[in-house]
Amino acid sequence: MAFTLWNLLEATLLCLNAVCILHEERFLVKMGWGANQNIQGFGEQPSVRSQVFNLVRSIRTVMRSKYLSILCY
Amino acid sequence: MNFNATSGARHPAQKGSRKKRVSDTAAMSAPAYPPPYNPYASAVPGNMPPNMNMYDGRYVLPPPYTASPDYSRIHPSFPPADQGFSIPSQFLNEPLVANVAMQYGQALVGSGKQLVGQELEKYVPFSRIKYYFAVDTRYVTKKLGLLFFPFTHSDWSLRYEQDGPVQPRYEINAPDLYIPTMAYVTYVLVAGLVLGMQDRFTPEVLSIQASTALAWTVFEIIVELITMYITNIQTNLKTLDLIAYGGYKYVGIIFAVLLSILFHKTGYFIGLIYCSMSLIFFLVRTLKVQILPIGTSPSHHDPYMHNSGNKRRMYLLLFVAGIQPFLMWWLSFHLISPPVPKS
Repeated sequence: MAFTLWNLLEATLLCLNAVCILHEERFLVKMGWGANQNIQGFGEQPSVRSQVFNLVRSIRTVMRSKYLSILCY
Repeated sequence: MNFNATSGARHPAQKGSRKKRVSDTAAMSAPAYPPPYNPYASAVPGNMPPNMNMYDGRYVLPPPYTASPDYSRIHPSFPPADQGFSIPSQFLNEPLVANVAMQYGQALVGSGKQLVGQELEKYVPFSRIKYYFAVDTRYVTKKLGLLFFPFTHSDWSLRYEQDGPVQPRYEINAPDLYIPTMAYVTYVLVAGLVLGMQDRFTPEVLSIQASTALAWTVFEIIVELITMYITNIQTNLKTLDLIAYGGYKYVGIIFAVLLSILFHKTGYFIGLIYCSMSLIFFLVRTLKVQILPIGTSPSHHDPYMHNSGNKRRMYLLLFVAGIQPFLMWWLSFHLISPPVPKS
């Protein structure tokens, strides 16, 4: 209904925050979702899980990069 | 033309021509030039025969420079045959120099514009967007007809140029951004109209409607992009294509809402169902060409493609097409008016 652009921005921010604060070693590896645990050949299509992990990892890397920390100042 | 002071020594035959050219420019403009040339002109007749006899091997280096102190007195600068580095007003009055200065200035402005364009291109792809607005009236009418009645259209393939699809002006099946943009604006206006007819209108309502529709469109496109990335489907669809296909639903929304003015709830639902069906049909036929692999392609050109890719592509296609009616309903059901009770 009244799902305006501001609400979308808020939701995006919260989702990004959730992706960033998930600590890999403490939670994801224990649940079998670690980034280094998938073995796959070169020629096969990456599975959905590996793509999701790649996405999460790259979001985390971008959020922690130096560019964004410069933006804060 | 040479501005070099020593060039006269290298090529004595030019002195005669330079004299002629200088007298031409003196005739065109720069009244300051004729007086200093008089001693030069008087000094030249003595040099003319040696110019004609330059093939004797004699260089005429000494004669012109004996004459130079004469007109360095009269014209306090370099020899005017150089046509440069003199008093600035005379420098700029010289038509040849003015031409060069104008060309240089224009080149500077051109390169500045190019630089700004390149910087902007990184953030908003203007050249790509221009492709989507290359439409004409015939295309718009045919496309609108196709959106409402796609059942009889037979050829859904796209023609390609060297780097992309043919412009929408020449290809009815190509996506464009003109219809979605216009439909979005018309949707906001029609929402205001319908709410006004129900006495529910305030000026904030317009901006709320616009912002809501935009937020839902952005959300839909983000979901589609993430889905395409996660399922690792390679298509030719760009982000702007997705925006275009997502914007076609506003045409259906407008039609359904306008029907609701006349026939209230029943008219709204009939219009909504009909527009949903035709939009689903339209999207499935259009995107099938771009998302699903062509059945006749040789299998050796892509040994890495699995058969499971087909299933994923089908699901993506059904998702894109199926979310349209839901969003159409969500964006408009609060605009219809309850039927007027008969008193």
